[in-house]
Amino acid sequence: MVLGALMICAGTLAAQPARQMGDLTRASVRATSYVTYDAEPQVIEAGKRSVLALRFQIANGYHVNSHTPKSELLIPTKITLQPAAGVKAEAAEYPAGTEFSFSFSPKDKLNVYARDFTVRLPIVAAAGTHEMDGTLRYQACDHAACYPPKSLPVRVLFTAK
Amino acid sequence: MIVGISLLLWAGWHNLRERRIAMQTAAANQVMLTPAAPQSASGQDSDSEEQNPGAKLRGKTAPAFTLSSLDGKKVSLADYKGRPVLVNFWATWCAPCKIEMPWFEELRKQYAGQGFEILGLTADADAGKDAIAKTAQKIGVTYPILLANEKVQDAYGGIDYLPMSFYVDRNGKVVETTGGLSSKDEIEANIKKTIASGATTAAVKGGE
Repeated sequence: MVLGALMICAGTLAAQPARQMGDLTRASVRATSYVTYDAEPQVIEAGKRSVLALRFQIANGYHVNSHTPKSELLIPTKITLQPAAGVKAEAAEYPAGTEFSFSFSPKDKLNVYARDFTVRLPIVAAAGTHEMDGTLRYQACDHAACYPPKSLPVRVLFTAK
Repeated sequence: MIVGISLLLWAGWHNLRERRIAMQTAAANQVMLTPAAPQSASGQDSDSEEQNPGAKLRGKTAPAFTLSSLDGKKVSLADYKGRPVLVNFWATWCAPCKIEMPWFEELRKQYAGQGFEILGLTADADAGKDAIAKTAQKIGVTYPILLANEKVQDAYGGIDYLPMSFYVDRNGKVVETTGGLSSKDEIEANIKKTIASGATTAAVKGGE
């Protein structure tokens, strides 16, 4: 009898319809920032060349041009940071992009960041806590439309010990 | 007791069989939702204002504008009164825009005999006339390119993203709006709809 009950239970559970897929026709137009910055403070060694990892997340369904898009006209992702006291920064190093094409034009290949991406910033810093302010300039598209270029404020926090 | 257990087992097996059949029927009836191609049937996904801010202009008079063209002339929408017009917002940095513009050029030639015209309003006037002209040339468009300003973008619902197209009939009424890249077929269907709209029976009889 218990066996029978168990089998009935198993049968009921198995018979539930699968969840329907969500609406994938257009990523939300109202996403206020297509890219966000992970502001987690970092700790590095003082007086020694270290690399800060600037982590960015891209909202689901969007992509941004990489630092090296395939056309001059496309707006590249670029970070600009103001100099900070006690910090000597080298040029930022950008990750390689991935290939992307719009479905209606598979031959036109673009170079984009489609998921989270990390910009590396080599620095040498004096001991102490530091704050570097700047902006990430980027231009996002989804699978069928492009959004105007935006500037994301970035505040890099780290301690050199 | 053996009979009892056998009965239980049989009941269990029978039940499982019923469940399996029910599952199969349910699975057969299930509709699998797959992502629609961008802007599928007649801009149906652009119906909500949130999806396409320009959608609220459907059925209304197309907002008037006077803008500078690339060759320095002043061009107004009113200059095209009595002609079906596609008002298209684009930018040099907008890849999907540049994908559809060659289609526009082809379709414009095809339907020019019916008075159809396209106006390409560039939302990145600050890119400079040279860059815009070079881009237009490279894409191969010969229809008028106008430098949009904030005023006209606001008038057309605030151009939140590109490309945005407004199909205006001979009477100046917006018969269709689309946001984002759609297929050449859909664009052609919208053009035909625009040409046919507001036309007198005599004009329609002219055919393609």
